[in-house]
Amino acid sequence: MGLLNFTREPVPEAVSADMHNLNQLSAQQFSALTEVLFRFLTEPKEVERFLSQLSDFATMNKISLGPLKNIVKSILLVPNGALKRNLSSEQVRADFIALGLSEEKASYFAEQWKVNSPTLARLAMGQTLMINQLIDMEWKFGVTAGSSELEKVGSIFLQLKLVVKKGSQLENVYVELTLPQFYSFLHEMERVKTSLESFS
Amino acid sequence: MAALRDGDFGALQILLKAPSKDAVRQLCQECFSSPPAALGPLAQRACPGLAVSAEEAEQLVSALHNLTRHVVYRGLTGAEDILRLFPENFHQNLKNLLTKIILENISAWRNEAQASQISLPRLVDMDWRVDIKTSSDSIVRMAVPTCLLQLKIQEDAALCGNNPVVSALTMELSKETLDTMLEGLGRIRDQLSAVANK
Repeated sequence: MGLLNFTREPVPEAVSADMHNLNQLSAQQFSALTEVLFRFLTEPKEVERFLSQLSDFATMNKISLGPLKNIVKSILLVPNGALKRNLSSEQVRADFIALGLSEEKASYFAEQWKVNSPTLARLAMGQTLMINQLIDMEWKFGVTAGSSELEKVGSIFLQLKLVVKKGSQLENVYVELTLPQFYSFLHEMERVKTSLESFS
Repeated sequence: MAALRDGDFGALQILLKAPSKDAVRQLCQECFSSPPAALGPLAQRACPGLAVSAEEAEQLVSALHNLTRHVVYRGLTGAEDILRLFPENFHQNLKNLLTKIILENISAWRNEAQASQISLPRLVDMDWRVDIKTSSDSIVRMAVPTCLLQLKIQEDAALCGNNPVVSALTMELSKETLDTMLEGLGRIRDQLSAVANK
């Protein structure tokens, strides 16, 4: 096997055998299986649904579920590596052929990859580490009417509640701003937006 | 806030023993700024300067504290209003001196009261930076701009006394989050203008 695009590590032995088994599927069967796989890749949280769809596929096509799961594990190596390395559909096709999949099936999978890769790329970027991500912001503002030290005050206050994700927990942060601080904050945030937009 | 009591004006006349007008001025300022709990020690410090007993010093300091705070609480700004507080038989010159000192300090004292008001933790500073994420373990090549925002927040001044606790919180905002935040801030600004124009 020549150099693969999707990985630099040696591929497990079982993969060749799994590709050989895949070649035995009809075009329709392969297309149905590919659909199940991409639905899982675009919605990775739906594990239960994925497993039940695999089980249905196995039953309908009279394949044992165990071997099918191994085949699926082998197939998934390619799109996962391809996503990490921003591979093109030609590279994906070439890799499948190098692994032993038929040209017809490899081309079909690569086509599906092309169609789905924008969604998949966005998902992968969304999973990228964020430090203390700001999840939500609530606010209220009002007038301080009086206090124990000043009978009549009449100043405006603004209170923000920021919900920040620290690790796996959410933390609430409460801050009070004066009016000039608020305008200054708003001004700075607008500058940030301009900056972010110039890099998008 | 302590209210003016009957014996207060009697105690204030102890100021007639003060060495100078500046000493009275200084004492007024210290009595206003001091929280009730610190009046005792303040009285002890004032004692020698005034050549009075400890008990008299305490009464004086307490009275001055009550008077100055009362004026600030009521928001009195005119000399007439302040003069009116004193009883008929109060020493004329001392009354005028105290009124003058109070008028000199009233706006600074008002600001001080407002600054030390109870509040939620206050924003003291804010910094930001924009980063471009170029790579991660989930995707080797990308160009995603992201914003890091650091807020310096000070806990309630009254709780910390002279050592305010400032904590720094650094948060990350995606472009979407920032847009949503700006929308919210814009709405606040619109509402503020609406209120201001009423």
